[in-house]
Amino acid sequence: MEDTTALKTLLFQLADDELIIGHRDAEWTGHGPILEADIAFSSMAQDELGHAQVYYGLLHDLGETEPDRLAFLRAAADFRCAHLVELPNGDWAFSSVRQFLYDAAETVRLAALAGSSFAPLAQAARKFAGEEKYHLLHGRTWMQQLGQAGGESRVRLQAALDQAYPYALGLFEPTDAEAALAARGLKPPEAELQGHWEALTRPVLAEAGLTPPKAAPVYGGRRGQHTPHLAALLADMQLVFRSDPEASW
Amino acid sequence: MTTPADTQWELYEVFHQKARGEHHVHVGAVHASSPAMALVLAKEQYARRLACVNLWVVRARDITASDYADADMFEHATDKSYREAFGYRVVKKVRGIEARGEHEAES
Amino acid sequence: MYGTTTFTHVTDPLAGEDPAKLAEFEARIGRGEKIEPQDWMPREYRRQLIRMIEQHAHSEIMGALPEGKWIPHAPGFRRKLALVAKVQDEVGHAQLLYRAAETLGKSREQMIDDLLSGKSKYSNVFNYPTPTWADTAVIAWLIDAGAIINQNTNAQGSYGPYCRALKRICYEESFHLKYGYDSVVTLAAGTARQRAMLQDALNRWWRPIMHFHGPPDKVSAHTEILMRWKVKIKSNDAMRQEFLDQYVPKIWALGLSVPDPALRKDPATGLWEYSDPDWDEFKRVINGDGPCNRERLAVRRLAHEDGAWVRAALSRPA
Repeated sequence: MEDTTALKTLLFQLADDELIIGHRDAEWTGHGPILEADIAFSSMAQDELGHAQVYYGLLHDLGETEPDRLAFLRAAADFRCAHLVELPNGDWAFSSVRQFLYDAAETVRLAALAGSSFAPLAQAARKFAGEEKYHLLHGRTWMQQLGQAGGESRVRLQAALDQAYPYALGLFEPTDAEAALAARGLKPPEAELQGHWEALTRPVLAEAGLTPPKAAPVYGGRRGQHTPHLAALLADMQLVFRSDPEASW
Repeated sequence: MTTPADTQWELYEVFHQKARGEHHVHVGAVHASSPAMALVLAKEQYARRLACVNLWVVRARDITASDYADADMFEHATDKSYREAFGYRVVKKVRGIEARGEHEAES
Repeated sequence: MYGTTTFTHVTDPLAGEDPAKLAEFEARIGRGEKIEPQDWMPREYRRQLIRMIEQHAHSEIMGALPEGKWIPHAPGFRRKLALVAKVQDEVGHAQLLYRAAETLGKSREQMIDDLLSGKSKYSNVFNYPTPTWADTAVIAWLIDAGAIINQNTNAQGSYGPYCRALKRICYEESFHLKYGYDSVVTLAAGTARQRAMLQDALNRWWRPIMHFHGPPDKVSAHTEILMRWKVKIKSNDAMRQEFLDQYVPKIWALGLSVPDPALRKDPATGLWEYSDPDWDEFKRVINGDGPCNRERLAVRRLAHEDGAWVRAALSRPA
């Protein structure tokens, strides 16, 4: 049987990214600045959590334990999400910028994975494209509106971009599985994805009157090195499940 | 009715098309800062469960409406069945012709 | 009910109203037709409806907090997704209801300001704490059940925009109820610890549940007018009876006990008897002195203030 290590590495990254950002997005429910915006963010949270569940399902098919147990029982060091998704929500500017940068990366990633040699992953990627299209539309619309409003809005947005950008670059952290993933046609190299992402995000940021900072990427998430935020997040997220992992909830 | 300063944004009415070939139907309204934003927000407030292929948003202030007090304008004062299919009773006349034809054949 | 329908300080609700217009208005309602925003309506009708719909909207927004608190902790994907969807629906309902109230002439801005300043009321039940996961299950089942009874009743009312909003709300509530029931039954069928957590939650929530439909109505000429105008459809006690009749047998069927030894259905009358709920507590809580009123309003106020720059930035014309 073919060695699935590289594939599983990839799937954990995808799943963990979606789970953690879904969790963060869901924290906005009931707290948004305007009712309609609150509702839209909750939908995106559900999309992401749903995607995570599918990716964990693929891992389960490959021999890992059930999706609930993968999400709700692993410790921070076992997670392979990028730091970007762990960061707290901050203000609406930070969450909007973080979400936009993330969704742009997802768009690029899903487009690439639609051609993956692992059929179930290719199928999932094609299926998620519709939801991701909305996320990108949502993100572009907000960036444009908040950026073009100028004043405090533009200041906050730029500050958010300055903070988030190095972490967004961390979404493209290459791992030891890079060569194997590319060689087997599972996923193109991260550098290539990052290039597409920059091409996608630059015009939107420019239109919003924003300038991405010159910054070094923040790596570590793909190797299980995380900010303290992740452990705190997992303590919240896993609270009830861990109280009795064998029970039915 | 004066409206106090409202940072809840402008009102857009939302119209939703269930499937190609169907009419767009009014489903409600959203507050938004622009038509583009209205569309983004309306999708979630009005189409997250309903089957939908297309959405319209229209500034509420662009809608011109008739007055309920003028509902009588829509009522018919006289019989207008001349412009309805049910206003024509043809079968009886055809039967009359058929009956005359048989009568002539017999005589 | 969602707040209080005030009958107190208006001595003559029909004072100064054009008798001909009033007669036409009442005839329309009598025929079962709906009143639409542009129609002439008595001042008192407009006032009561704004209050009623606004309080319902506020209840949805405030209701998002006790349950939303448990979204980060929800056990497993299915529960997490469902709870996000449920609370999202509640925010959505608030949006629909504020919209309906806006058609009567009060801005959403003003309504939200009145909520945050403490001027407007909302359902008492959302002023109680939710210390365990089981609390969210009990709320999702039994509070939503109470709300459905209210909403189905009010959907027979006379004001078009409110009825239209309620139609959609009732449809979404059916998911809430099923989700709530499923959550409760899962706990009831679960481990000893889960069952104990559930019973404890029910014990703590029973009194707020009994308060939910509001105190027994004072019978007055005023109540009669509101009934004639189909603003008030059924008495609070009638709705409470409906609730008890539908749900107490279901609660007992799960092996749970209700913390009211006097609770029983009188076979002769078909009515439920129960210990008198503490209406003083209800009054205190609904007037701002409940366990969580201040904390939750503070959370809403903070969210509103934190979002002020967003709203302000985008209020400037394009």
